Amino acid sequence: MFSNYLKLAIKVLGRRTFFTVISLFGISFTLMILILLSAYMDAELGSHQPLSQKDQMIFLNRLMMTNEVIDTSYQIDTVMLDGVEVYDSTEVLDENRNSVSISSLGYYFCDNYLRDVAGADIYSFYSPSFSYDIFVNGKKLSFDVVYSDADFWNIYDYQFSNGRPFRQQEVDNQGQVVVLTEKAAQDYFGSMEAAMGEFIEIDGKQFEVIGLVKRPSNSKGFLSGQAFMPLTTLQPIYLDDDKNFQGPFEAVFLASSATGMNDIEQSIQQKAQQTALPDPENYNHLYLITSDFFGRYANSIFPNSDNDPEKSKRTFILIGGGLLLLFILLPTLNLINLNVSRIMERSAEIGVRKAFGAHSGSILTQLLFENIVLTFLGGAIGFVLAFILLHLVNDSNILGDTLLRINYRVFGYSLLICLAFGIISGLLPAYRMSKIHIANAIKQNNV
Amino acid sequence: MTRHILRLIWNKKRSNALLFLEIFFAFLILFAVFTIVTRYMRMYQSPLGYQTENIWIVHMNLDPVTDTVATQDMKVRLKQELKALPEVQSASYSGFVTPISNSSWSTSSDDNGFEISTHMMYGDPDYMETMGINLVQGRWFNESDRDARYEPLIISKKLFDESFEGRNITDSIYNINGEKRIIGVIDHFKYKGDFAEEVNLSFFYGEDKTLDLPNLHLRVAPGTPAAFEEEVNNLVADITKRNDFRIEHLQTTRESRARQVWIPIVALLSICGFLVINVSMGLFGILWYTISKRRSEIGLRRTLGASRSEITLQFVGEILAVCLSGILLGIVFAVQLPLLNVFPIEALNYYIAMGLSATLILILVVACSFYPSQQAARIHPALALHEE
Repeated sequence: MFSNYLKLAIKVLGRRTFFTVISLFGISFTLMILILLSAYMDAELGSHQPLSQKDQMIFLNRLMMTNEVIDTSYQIDTVMLDGVEVYDSTEVLDENRNSVSISSLGYYFCDNYLRDVAGADIYSFYSPSFSYDIFVNGKKLSFDVVYSDADFWNIYDYQFSNGRPFRQQEVDNQGQVVVLTEKAAQDYFGSMEAAMGEFIEIDGKQFEVIGLVKRPSNSKGFLSGQAFMPLTTLQPIYLDDDKNFQGPFEAVFLASSATGMNDIEQSIQQKAQQTALPDPENYNHLYLITSDFFGRYANSIFPNSDNDPEKSKRTFILIGGGLLLLFILLPTLNLINLNVSRIMERSAEIGVRKAFGAHSGSILTQLLFENIVLTFLGGAIGFVLAFILLHLVNDSNILGDTLLRINYRVFGYSLLICLAFGIISGLLPAYRMSKIHIANAIKQNNV
Repeated sequence: MTRHILRLIWNKKRSNALLFLEIFFAFLILFAVFTIVTRYMRMYQSPLGYQTENIWIVHMNLDPVTDTVATQDMKVRLKQELKALPEVQSASYSGFVTPISNSSWSTSSDDNGFEISTHMMYGDPDYMETMGINLVQGRWFNESDRDARYEPLIISKKLFDESFEGRNITDSIYNINGEKRIIGVIDHFKYKGDFAEEVNLSFFYGEDKTLDLPNLHLRVAPGTPAAFEEEVNNLVADITKRNDFRIEHLQTTRESRARQVWIPIVALLSICGFLVINVSMGLFGILWYTISKRRSEIGLRRTLGASRSEITLQFVGEILAVCLSGILLGIVFAVQLPLLNVFPIEALNYYIAMGLSATLILILVVACSFYPSQQAARIHPALALHEE
């Protein structure tokens, strides 16, 4: 039966090429953009190296200190009464937040308060906020350096193309070793092969190159450094900063289960309440802002004044979903419109089929099937277009380090998108047609 | 004629409903995109207020300061030695907030019941010359300000217009983050870059040795080779005895920042363009089809004496009426944004966007319906009626 439908569908497509071209254009471009979008979202939010374990991670990258005091605030209103200015003032006595300081974490804080977080299998402290200008043969290279401990490499699975990560022992002994990205090695040494075992000067010191990593699949600021070095090689001031809670570090905790992730968040929130601040005169409340990967991502795009990543997630889904819906709606409406007029043409055929006893249901299936065939044809074109555009985008480096790829997941999404698009845009016209009266249908052909 | 068209539309309300919906949503999408684009383009057109070409900024990290006096002397020496280089035309220190960075610093003070809110930047006496700032009133900082009884302050014209228009500024002291004497007004300074709204801005006074002024701006001579940067780099490293500084080319930052805005704008516009093409092709197709369905009606009208232009007008009018009502409904929704002040965007942007999207849709609709309608008008009455 379906092979008959398929033959019919192809015949119909050939009948009115002008309409077919219009429909295919709309379908293929819409699907191309959707496929690109799903590839982009997959690159940004999917599990790729070095974030393969992102679903088990809890990030603690910001700490907020506030000074909350009971204070009287005045509110003065000026009113004109009989042409005379009158002041109307109210006094309100309440808890006032009169000073807020948000920053990343200091090593002192990480080292002393975050080593015993319940639920965390492993954790890592690292600082992605250093950058140095290095000159090679008169050319400037700007290196972003990530200073980390050894467990950093167990949490983030960077792909090593050569060599190895640094070990705990090297971190403890201030080992002068560095892991470079392939591109950094290429820029500094001229070739990747020459880099291994050589020395590179960063921050006035010589570091031995012990490993090379491939570029990460997206440009997350906190992971896309060019060089990775043991945190103990930082200037000492950043490590034994006198009881300073704020500094350039952030922490990540890895849980083995979902309950573990809850434990981590709760344990960190408890610490926020229990920890005494070093300088209660200036700041008397501590807030630790934790988030999972999606929360952190959403918060970087839609920050809110409460610094609540959960709120950002909702905004992200609401705005992103809304825009997507609006974008799909228009081509769908257009296609429905086209289909309605196209299907009318075939009323005679449908009428005859019904006269010979075909059910409305089978007519509906047939027309829907034809539309899905059309959509998949458009989808195939869209897929090819997306593939070409994807390479153009990747080559031009518009998205920074973010590398768009079509993998099986994106392919799956695309198939799903095609199917949904075909059904939605075909349902209304097919339904109208299947409900048509036989007499009318046959007569209409003569017009 | 109008009543006739309206009746025809009502008779075919089922198929027109879809067209109506399509135009309605097309309007909303175009409106959203044009609002964003208009907003950015209007920001881009307002003057930046300073130069970025050949400006380098050395971002230094002075913390932790162990010996305050030595660090102060070092800062003074660094500026002198850099200035002595023939390639460096001018040098100036500024505070933690530098132009086109993500940093911002703002304050708001209560001055005798007037709330004065402003963003803050620091500059030394050379800052105006180095950055090419345009002064409209008063003067920039100079050496005499060091011993001034009240801290001097230079404000932007925007702040002046907002809070000081018609007030005496030469002899008055205002409370802006402490008691300040306003000594000058500058023209513009969009410190957040091209694609930002100009905000109220005040410059606070600092001098070479002030430790809170860690960023050294250099104006290098045009045509200075890139290799000169290494010389600056070595000199700074030598004098500061540190390596954790960074040299920024302000022009490069400005361009890459602008690219971050251009890319989404171009992406949005091309998606929009595709949607518009899609919709107009759809319109074209539907019209073509309806007209071929209504040949007998056209034949009849022609025999009864309708001229060709009347037929064309009828079909264009029908489509136009449906589209206009779609746009009107769209405007009813769109106008809520400025009326209810949903987003902190200037209302004029919304109205420009509304006008643009409505015009674009109408032009497209007329263009797409004109050709099929003309085809309809060419139908020979005898042939059309014969077919019936």
